Amino acid sequence: QEEAQAIDQELFTEYKFSVDQLMELAGLSCATAIAKAYPPSSFTTSQPTVLVVCGPGNNGGDGLVCARHLKMFGYEPTVYYPKRPNKPLFEGLTTQCQKMDIPFLPEFPAEAALIDELYGLVVDAIFGFSFKGAVREPFSSILSTLERITVPIASIDIPSGWDVEKGKADGLQPDMLISLTAPKKAAMHFAGRYHFLGGRFVPAALQEKYALNLPPYPETDCVLQLT
Amino acid sequence: VPVSSRQAFPLPSLPRKQPTVLVVCGPAQNGAIGLVCARHLRIFDYEPTIFYPKRSPDPLYRDFTTQCEKMDIPFLSYLPTEVQLINDAYNAVVDAVLGAEAEAGEGREPCAAILATLKHIRIPIVSLDVPSGWDVEAGSSGGISPEVLVSLAAPKQCARRFLGRQHFVAGRFLPYDVQKKFELNPPEYPGTECVVALRTPR
Repeated sequence: QEEAQAIDQELFTEYKFSVDQLMELAGLSCATAIAKAYPPSSFTTSQPTVLVVCGPGNNGGDGLVCARHLKMFGYEPTVYYPKRPNKPLFEGLTTQCQKMDIPFLPEFPAEAALIDELYGLVVDAIFGFSFKGAVREPFSSILSTLERITVPIASIDIPSGWDVEKGKADGLQPDMLISLTAPKKAAMHFAGRYHFLGGRFVPAALQEKYALNLPPYPETDCVLQLT
Repeated sequence: VPVSSRQAFPLPSLPRKQPTVLVVCGPAQNGAIGLVCARHLRIFDYEPTIFYPKRSPDPLYRDFTTQCEKMDIPFLSYLPTEVQLINDAYNAVVDAVLGAEAEAGEGREPCAAILATLKHIRIPIVSLDVPSGWDVEAGSSGGISPEVLVSLAAPKQCARRFLGRQHFVAGRFLPYDVQKKFELNPPEYPGTECVVALRTPR
């Protein structure tokens, strides 16, 4: 977790990347990975509907960007975004989604069965690699519900609720994980079908400095399928 | 816009041993897009070099410059007027000098001198959005002749005069209602691609 935070710090302070830039690239990778693993034609729902659950921090921001690109790729995303930071970045991302007719649910579907009926896929953009400590409401109930759905879950960077290094055996079991920048330790406990790497922006010098040993991305793709 | 400035430019097809590319950046937004493009080219394992004589004071664009510098992308201090030097050192030139916003930019230094040199090079030019120096609507006679044009968001009027080998549209971010409002009729992007090739007359 500390290494991931250190890399981020360097990208912002030394390389002068803006959060906006990296979040845009990260969100695009997530949408691209999802489109590769779950093409619209593979959905059993009549439309390729996706529920994107966004948390209160940067992981939620990644989710908003992802939702927007999913819309451009022909999906029908719906967002649930209960705790919105008071910052221009997140307000902007929200506006972009709303202006693209992406609905924002006023409340979370009460039952797992309802989610299964309405959506073909759920994107977990609740907590990322900075997550520490106990899960507070409303996310605790949300995660309980998500643990009971049968449609696949695609988690952004870390399955929400998992310990960033040790995982969580009785927690969320996503079908897909999109690791951003580099897989975190928790990824070792990932048991789903699809593990993608996204966030193709780490300069070679940083990769070496932190001995990331990332496999090469194919050509100009912004995602790499690891499993 | 920066996200979409990657281009379809096959690495194995380059004639020189090192995949060197010269990215010439103008003073405004088109130049900034060139900086972002150079950074992504570096990530794709090309060896870009940048010529950016007149740097924008905009903090966002200054950060783009820092990102490139920190990624060991060299910045030339001058552009050789001897075209053979450029032909020999690079496989292609990315023209990010002037975009659709430029009006009288062509006449002003250092753009005029840069364009004069670029008119005579033999290696392919890839122009971002508008071939620099062309009138954005009427096109140009006697201006540079790029081999590849990457129209951003939608082709500009002058693209009709484009005679090069490949025309791409990039910048897959226009919401549907904006497309309708301006009657853009953009082509369909395949799958998750952020670039789509248009059919050229040739």
